[in-house]
Amino acid sequence: MSIRHQLLLIALTTLILPWAGCKYARELDAAQRRAQENALAASAETISHALASEPARVFRDLDDRSPFDAARGDQYVFALHNEPLIDGYREDWDLAAPATALPSAEGYAARLLLGTEGRFLYLYMEVEDARTVAQPPVIGPTTLDFTRVDLVTEHPDGTRDAFFFASGAPGPLPAQVLVRGESGGVHFVSEARIQGFWLQTATGYQLEARIPWSLLGARLWIEAHAGDARRAGFEPEDDAPGGRLFMATPGLSTLLATFVRPGTRATVLDANALRLGVAGTLESGGRGAETRSASWYDRFLSVDSTHWPLEVSAADRMQGAAIRAALRGHTSAEWLRAAGGGSVLLAAAPLQIGGEPRGAVVLEQGGNPLLEARDQALSHLFNLTLLGTALAVVFAFAVAASIGVTIGRLRLAADSAIGPDGRIRLSMPESQRSDEIGALARAFERLLQRLNEHTLYLRSLGGKLSHEMRTPLTIVRSSIDNLEFSTLAAEQRGYLLRARDGTARLQFILTALGAAARVEEAIKQAERVPLDLCALLDSAVAGYRAAFPGATFILERPENECPMRGAPELLVQLLDKLIENAVDFCPPGGTITVRLERLGSQYELSVANDGPPLPPAIKDRLFESLFEHRSGREDKPHFGLGLYIVRLIAEFHGGRVGAADRVDGTGVVFSVRLPLI
Amino acid sequence: MKNGRRAHRPGHRLSSHPVKKTIAIVEDEPALRENYAALLARHGYGVKTYANRKGALQAFGTHLPDLAIIDIALEDEAEGGFDLCRELRAMSAEIPIIFLTARDSELDAVSGLRLGADDFLTKDVSMPHLAARVAALFRRIDALRRPHTASEVLRRGALSIDAERMQTTWKGTPVTLSLTEFWIVHALARNPGHVKNRQQLMDAANVVLDDNTITSHVKRIRRKFIEIDPGFDAIQTVYGMGYRFVE
Repeated sequence: MSIRHQLLLIALTTLILPWAGCKYARELDAAQRRAQENALAASAETISHALASEPARVFRDLDDRSPFDAARGDQYVFALHNEPLIDGYREDWDLAAPATALPSAEGYAARLLLGTEGRFLYLYMEVEDARTVAQPPVIGPTTLDFTRVDLVTEHPDGTRDAFFFASGAPGPLPAQVLVRGESGGVHFVSEARIQGFWLQTATGYQLEARIPWSLLGARLWIEAHAGDARRAGFEPEDDAPGGRLFMATPGLSTLLATFVRPGTRATVLDANALRLGVAGTLESGGRGAETRSASWYDRFLSVDSTHWPLEVSAADRMQGAAIRAALRGHTSAEWLRAAGGGSVLLAAAPLQIGGEPRGAVVLEQGGNPLLEARDQALSHLFNLTLLGTALAVVFAFAVAASIGVTIGRLRLAADSAIGPDGRIRLSMPESQRSDEIGALARAFERLLQRLNEHTLYLRSLGGKLSHEMRTPLTIVRSSIDNLEFSTLAAEQRGYLLRARDGTARLQFILTALGAAARVEEAIKQAERVPLDLCALLDSAVAGYRAAFPGATFILERPENECPMRGAPELLVQLLDKLIENAVDFCPPGGTITVRLERLGSQYELSVANDGPPLPPAIKDRLFESLFEHRSGREDKPHFGLGLYIVRLIAEFHGGRVGAADRVDGTGVVFSVRLPLI
Repeated sequence: MKNGRRAHRPGHRLSSHPVKKTIAIVEDEPALRENYAALLARHGYGVKTYANRKGALQAFGTHLPDLAIIDIALEDEAEGGFDLCRELRAMSAEIPIIFLTARDSELDAVSGLRLGADDFLTKDVSMPHLAARVAALFRRIDALRRPHTASEVLRRGALSIDAERMQTTWKGTPVTLSLTEFWIVHALARNPGHVKNRQQLMDAANVVLDDNTITSHVKRIRRKFIEIDPGFDAIQTVYGMGYRFVE
């Protein structure tokens, strides 16, 4: 794993921060919501207990336990807040609830809405009947086939009264009562106390009417008739329940209002979940879908409300799990999604009267605005942390890239610190940095410095040894010289001779050891002068022919002059060392070829000899100081300085050295390339 | 005067001296000091040995030796010999001074000779060679004290060499050569045109030197002649073989 990947990983771990923040936020959220639930449920229970002590103010008829049965014509009467005008329109009822469709076997569409205000029951009907049949002026007892709405009420004593509204001219109209005359005839009488308004519409008609409670009993059946036999609604049946009117308990809402805190709506329900009283208004503090921009990460931040049930309660009754539980006797709370967005907390406590759940007290509260604010703060925090993480990743990548490049540069420098010619480069890149990489670079520099010192020491070792051993050797030799003047036996003279021979060899060795040092010294003093390399070679090779009669020398050189700038003594010494080397490995009677060629701006001077090939493993190190691996002739000491001297002199002239086997394997070729100038 | 030719024969041993010459050896290595002292005493010289510059200088203040052999490094003074040479030369312009040292760098040799030493020898020099040099230097002192006779002078073109006095002139101008340099020039000039290889030059100069040292000696000699005559080209290098003197 590369450094940049490691750093990327580290940077990515900063993502834990937003994650932990979200987790904390959600737990806090959940806890606060639970606290809110508990508080609201407790309030609902308190109200419930208070109401239970005054059941008469809650229920109109405490003993009435009959269930609401819409199929049999039971109706809920909404409490209206002001007196509507009787004009055929329901807009002034200020009621959100839709009209209830009346059952019809024939598919006659009629919808009914009932309300009460003060002493009156208000009725509103919409009937879809494009073909209204007007009431005939005189009708027979059996001909009641005209468009009308029948109302039948039953008084507590069991007697029933019937009224109807019949279509005629649109406009205000009274109800009519069917009166059977003493003669058995039937005629209609207007009941002026019951006022209605007939409004013709494109699809049928609308009827609005006002009926004093004093004319009505506990039960009321309402039925719409078409001109033909079709009808919709309820017909009074004997000995059957139905047609009962359920409505809010008068005064209960006022009572309830004393319990309700602002922003909370309290509702008392009866066992049918119908509203008996309502107080307070729900603050629209719930989060509005339009006020916040839903982000993909919202789901990390807030409690997931999508699984909450939608608030579906109707104007007349309430629904939901919490309501059902309360009506069964258990206090519970529930979060709902408000229809217009936002959330609503609903807590329901059972209304226990005589140990029996007879209804429920329901409190509704909007979602805590503080929570919403906190959500927004969290959202900002989340954004900032994400930004921070992104920055950390970018920064980590930049740092990693920079470190990678730097280390790569360092590695390249370390790889190439020791050049092909054995020279050591002492400076490393990045050593000015103040960090660990700088320290590493400086450590490399110190290491290279030590290596260089060691190499230089090795290089100078020969010279130093030769220098340091000179004095003791001189002591030995001068002592032997003095000894020769003493009178000695023949035997002692023999020993003396051997000692002298030994010191002579030692001296030779020391001189050879110091050779490189002296060449370096000579190089410092050397001056380059114009010279003719060809003439130099002619002269030198002639000398070698005389000096080494055991080998055959061949000189191959260009015909004309070979001018260059150089130090002739050093060049001759270079040639000497190459020739010495060649002679050492050349078998008796072998050939040594000295060749000079001009290659563009430089000369190639090569000395080739018959003999064994170079050992492959040491080809690169032949020209190093004190490196001797080849065994030549045994009669002379070797310190591996000869070829090192060749290299020193070649480098002084800006040249390069090389060694190779002959292609056919019959010998080796040492070559030196020298620039002309 | 008659047998002045002997002067350039190396290894010549002196038989007797009318007055015993004194030689001061300033050398901090006791074994070497004693060996040199023994050798020179055997050759009939009076020998005084000193281990350091201070002791030597003190003694020189009261009595000057006839010849001084000085090591460069003296005890804790790395260049003590140079200082001593300078001080001694200040006391006497004529006294022969030989540097005998383990140091063989070109720079040391040049410095030593520039301070007025007559010869600069490395400790490789053998006892007989050292004795020969001492004898040669004394002979020159003697020759200089005697009246000059031109018959002993070897002439090769512009070069003239007085072997007895070990004096060399080029085109009439004296050339200051050290003893070793003198012997090399003498060996080359005796047979003009003949190539002398390095070994022959070493034998002539009573030294054992390696190639580079011979080369630097020759270069130094050339430089001294060129200082007098920029056109000097009488000593030529024959690459791979040696050197020759051309008239």
